[in-house]
Amino acid sequence: MPDHVPTEFREQEVTVDPEEPFTVARSEDGRWYTVTGLCPTCRAATVFRVAYGVLGPPKRLWRRDRSEPEPLTGCIPVYCACGYPHPERPPESPDSGCGAFWDVPVPPPVHGAAS
Amino acid sequence: MTDLARKRFAQLGQQLQYDQLGAVRRQAEGWRNGLTGLTGLVGVVFVLKGRESVAGMPGAWRWTTALLLVLAFVLLLSGALGAVRAAHGPLGRQTWLSGDRLLAAVLDEVVRTQAALIRARRLSVAGLCAIVAAIAVSWLVPVDDPANSREGGPYVLVTTAGGVRCGELVMSDATAVTIKPAKGGEYRSIPIGTVRSVTPTRRC
Ligand SMILES: [Zn+2]
Ligand SMILES: [Zn+2]
Repeated sequence: MPDHVPTEFREQEVTVDPEEPFTVARSEDGRWYTVTGLCPTCRAATVFRVAYGVLGPPKRLWRRDRSEPEPLTGCIPVYCACGYPHPERPPESPDSGCGAFWDVPVPPPVHGAAS
Repeated sequence: MTDLARKRFAQLGQQLQYDQLGAVRRQAEGWRNGLTGLTGLVGVVFVLKGRESVAGMPGAWRWTTALLLVLAFVLLLSGALGAVRAAHGPLGRQTWLSGDRLLAAVLDEVVRTQAALIRARRLSVAGLCAIVAAIAVSWLVPVDDPANSREGGPYVLVTTAGGVRCGELVMSDATAVTIKPAKGGEYRSIPIGTVRSVTPTRRC
């Protein structure tokens, strides 16, 4: 694993190097996604979770088991939360990374039950 | 190109993830208070409008009042539920807390909350109007009370050896019972000696 690069804190959208793609994995029970990979800016390994939670669109009310939400499609905006100190990060910032964020496409749900 | 809003929503999604339980607890609290308030509706609609106030009304008007009250109850109930839904969010609605989905969900929820509130306002106003209409009906409709009715005077059935006569009792003294026939006409004096019984009756 490459070492962490203490870049200056900057909230910028970056692109993911196709050579180092992120992996998107859905949990066993299907209620959250885990996005893992190397931050394109500071090179730290980051883990980003997206859970299924309150505040959502009205879905068919009587649809199958509620514990298994329908799969997420599109992109997940991920931001760096490497946990390392980065210079110039304002103390009031809720960030815990280098400030970079990027899109990670969610692979179509091939494994498991068809949606 | 940097679109910071997308990062902010991603951050909001992460925060919401940590606060899921708090969020549903607060929602539950709001809904509980709202549902407890619904009990008051029963009082407003039915206790305020007791049975005795409709007891003497003619049948059609009694049904009208009852229907208005039921209508008012349904309207107020849905109005109150709609207001609770607007204030505390719908139940059992979830989304993926990723930035993009969250942004869409927030926008949708704003629209739906306003729609719910407008609907709740309409329903509540209509329900209140129905209650007022029910009260007005019970005030204005003549009450079918025998003591007040003009035409239903105290009639008597006078049984004599020759038959039964009916009419309004005018007077009765030591010599005769005088009645005025219900259909109009001459006063009729029945000598007391022939009278076997005088029975009050509501109509002839
Ligand atoms: Zn970093
Ligand atoms: Zn980083």
